[in-house]
Amino acid sequence: MTQPNKSRSGKIRSNAEDMVRFTMANFVDKEIIPVATEYDNKGEFPQHLFKKLGKMGVFGIRYPKKAGGSGGNTTLYCIAMQELARGLLSLAATTAMQCLMATNGLYLYGTKKMHEEFLYPALKGDKMGAFQLTEPNAGSDLSAVRTKAEKTRDGYVINGMKTWSTSGPKADFHTVLCQTDPSIGLRGLAFFLVPASTPGFSYSKPFDLLGTRTSAISEIYFKDCHVPVEYRLGKEGRGLGVLLKILSEIRIMTASLALGLHRAAMDDAIRYCKEREQFGKPISKYQLIQAKIANMAVNLEAGQLMVDKVTHMIDQGKECLNLASMAKYFTVESTCSACDEAMRIFGGYAYSMEYSVQRYYRDNRFLLSGGGTHEVLQTTIAREILSR
Amino acid sequence: MNIIVLVKQVPNTTNIKLDPKTGNLIREGLESIMNPDDLHALEAAVKIKDKTGGKVMAVSMGPPQAVDVLTQAMGMGADKAFLLSDRAFSGADTWATSYTLSKGIEKIKDYDLIICGHQAIDGDTAQIGPQVADWLDIAQATYVNDIESVDENEIVVKRRLEHGFERLACKMPVLLTVISELNEPRYPHMEQLISACEQKAPIKVWNAADIGVKTIEVGLEGSNTHVIKTFTPNFKRQNELLEGSNKEVVSDLIDRLKKSDTTIAYRL
Ligand SMILES: Cc1cc2nc3c(=O)[nH]c(=O)nc-3n(C[C@H](O)[C@H](O)[C@H](O)COP(=O)(O)OP(=O)(O)OC[C@H]3O[C@@H](n4cnc5c(N)ncnc54)[C@H](O)[C@@H]3O)c2cc1C
Ligand SMILES: Cc1cc2nc3c(=O)[nH]c(=O)nc-3n(C[C@H](O)[C@H](O)[C@H](O)COP(=O)(O)OP(=O)(O)OC[C@H]3O[C@@H](n4cnc5c(N)ncnc54)[C@H](O)[C@@H]3O)c2cc1C
Repeated sequence: MTQPNKSRSGKIRSNAEDMVRFTMANFVDKEIIPVATEYDNKGEFPQHLFKKLGKMGVFGIRYPKKAGGSGGNTTLYCIAMQELARGLLSLAATTAMQCLMATNGLYLYGTKKMHEEFLYPALKGDKMGAFQLTEPNAGSDLSAVRTKAEKTRDGYVINGMKTWSTSGPKADFHTVLCQTDPSIGLRGLAFFLVPASTPGFSYSKPFDLLGTRTSAISEIYFKDCHVPVEYRLGKEGRGLGVLLKILSEIRIMTASLALGLHRAAMDDAIRYCKEREQFGKPISKYQLIQAKIANMAVNLEAGQLMVDKVTHMIDQGKECLNLASMAKYFTVESTCSACDEAMRIFGGYAYSMEYSVQRYYRDNRFLLSGGGTHEVLQTTIAREILSR
Repeated sequence: MNIIVLVKQVPNTTNIKLDPKTGNLIREGLESIMNPDDLHALEAAVKIKDKTGGKVMAVSMGPPQAVDVLTQAMGMGADKAFLLSDRAFSGADTWATSYTLSKGIEKIKDYDLIICGHQAIDGDTAQIGPQVADWLDIAQATYVNDIESVDENEIVVKRRLEHGFERLACKMPVLLTVISELNEPRYPHMEQLISACEQKAPIKVWNAADIGVKTIEVGLEGSNTHVIKTFTPNFKRQNELLEGSNKEVVSDLIDRLKKSDTTIAYRL
C-alpha cells in the first residue's frame, strides 16, 4: 500500500483507491471465489451476493451522497469492478450495470418520487435495474431501433421488443432506448423508464449461453405499455446524447471487467505452472511457459495503466472517449489472449469443467461485444485519429 | 453509550515464513490486515451502538501505515479513530503497549465500554485486554462469546470456559475481550470507507507528548520483557506401524508409552 497522507493538523488518512481495492478483494476472495464455479455450472445467479454488494454500498459507489450514493467516483467504481470480475464476470457485469447504465438516466432525469421508488432501493440492492438498447435488427447500429414510444395526452405508449437483455427476466425496472419518430432515425431516440410491473411488459425464457452463465439474459416485450411523461429520461430526440454522456465510462468499465478476468486467468496459470511437474520439474521452469506468463503480465500492466489514465481523466471532467475506446479494445483483446494462454498452460485439464480456467475462456467472449464490438471500435478510433 | 474498540494491524499470517537463520518473521510480501478477533470486537460495538445510540471510537497503536485498519474500522461503522504513533512506542512488549493504550484511552476519557479482540495473531498473548483494564482500574470479562443484554448501567455476557460457559452481569465501565464465535463481522460500507479517506478525515494521530507519557515508560525502554530469540520448533514425526491382533497391538503400545517419557493428555 502507498504511504498514508498525514496533514499538519495531526490528522491522517488512507488512500481511498487502496482501501476500496482491499475491501473488494477481500470480499471476492472470501465470498465469491469459493462458490463461483458452482454457480456457473448451475447457471444460477448468486442473488445473495448481489444483495450483499447492495448492503456494502457498492451500487452507489459513483453517485454523490446526496443522491443516496457512496460519494466515490469513476476510478473507485472501476477498481471495484476489476476486483469483482476477478471473482465472477457475470456478477460483476450485472453489478456494473446496476451502478451505471441501469440507474444513471434515472439519477439525472428522474423526479424525487422516482428516486424514492426506484433509485434509492436500487442503490441499496433492494431493486434490480436493466438497460436495453439492442434489438434483433439493431445491434451496433442504433439508428435501426424500432421500439416505439408514442406520445399520448398524459405520457407515452411503448410497443416493441428488445433482445440480449441482461437481467431481463429479473429486473424491477428497465431503462429502454425507444424511437419517438422513426422517420428521423438517430434524432428520434429517447430513453424511458419502464417498471417490470407495467401492464403489457413481458419477457422470454432466458437464453442458453456460452459464457457468463449465471446472468439471466432474455428478450423483453412491450405491448401497449403506458408510462407517465416524467418516465422519459431526458428530452425527446436526445437519446444518443444521454448515452454519449456515459459512453466513455461504459467503455472503461468494460475494460475494467477485462482487467479483472485477465488477473484471474493469470493468477490461476501462475499457481498451476509452479505446481505441475513434467519431465522432472515444474513446467514454470520451461521458457515457453515463462513467455506466456511474461506476455500476460506485460499486457495486464499496460492495460491497467490505460484504464487508470482514463478513469482519472473522467473524474477530472476531461473528454477521453477515444482513449476509453482504445483501452476497451486493448484490454479485452489481451484478456482473450491471456485466457487462451492460461488454457494452454493447464494442458488437458483446462478442458475439464472442474477448473475455473475454462470459465474465464468462455466468459471473455462477452466482453468482445459488450461496450462496442472491436470492428466498430477500430473504425471509430481510426476515424478520430485520421480526422485530426 | 460510548464504546472504545482496540484494533491492531497485523501481518496476514495465514501462510507465514520464518527466516531459518534469524528466526524472525519474513515480513516482505506479507500484506497487513486487521487482527481477525478485532473485527468481531468492532462488529459487537457497532451492533450495540445501533441499539443504544452513542459513538464507537477505534484506537490503535502502531506506525503511520496502521491508519488503514482505522479506516477499515470506520468503514464498518466506527465514528472516530485515534492512532497512537511515535517512534518511541516501537519495540513495546505487552506491558508497555497496554500502558500506552490506556493513556490514549484516558485522554479520550468519555467511554462506557471497551471491547477488544481476545488475542492478536502475531503475538498470541491475549494479555493486552486484561492489562488495559488493570491500568484503567475497571472490570473485565474475557473470552466473551455472547452478549445477552446491554443498557447504560449493565451488560450481561457469556464467557467461553474450557468445559462450559459463565454468565456475567458487569457494571459499566467494563472491558471485554471477545472471541470469533460472538458474531459475523460485516464488510465495510463504501460510503463510510470513502468518507474516512477524505481530506477532512476524522482520524487523529497522537504522539507520546499528546498522551502525556515519558519515553522511558513506553516502547522498548518501557518494556519488562525482551525477546532474545524466536525459532521454529524442530519436531520430527516418527511413524511406526505396530503389527499383530488388536489386543497385541494395544498392549504393545501401552508398554512402549510407559517406557517413553510421553505425557498422555486426554479429555473427558
Ligand atoms: C452476454 C451479453 C449481454 C448483453 N447484454 C445486453 C444488455 O443488457 N443490453 C443491451 O442493450 N444489449 C446487450 N447485449 C448486446 C450487445 O450490446 C450487442 O451484442 C452488441 O451491441 C453488438 O450487436 P450485435 O450482437 O447485434 O452484433 P452486430 O452489430 O450485428 O455485429 C455483427 C458483426 O458485424 C460487425 N459490424 C457491425 N457493424 C459494423 C461496421 N460498421 N463495420 C465493421 N463491422 C461491423 C461487428 O463488429 C460484429 O463483428 C449483450 C450481449 C451479450 C453477448
Ligand atoms: C478431450 C481430451 C481427450 C483426451 N483423451 C485421451 C486419451 O484418450 N488417452 C490418453 O492417454 N490421453 C488423453 N488425453 C490427455 C492428453 O493426451 C494430455 O492432455 C496431453 O498429453 C497433455 O498432457 P497434460 O494435460 O498432462 O499437460 P502437461 O503435460 O502437464 O502440460 C501442461 C503445460 O505445460 C507445457 N509443457 C509440458 N512440458 C513442457 C516442456 N518440456 N517444455 C515446455 N512446455 C512444456 C505443455 O505444453 C502445457 O502447456 C485427452 C485430453 C483431452 C483434453
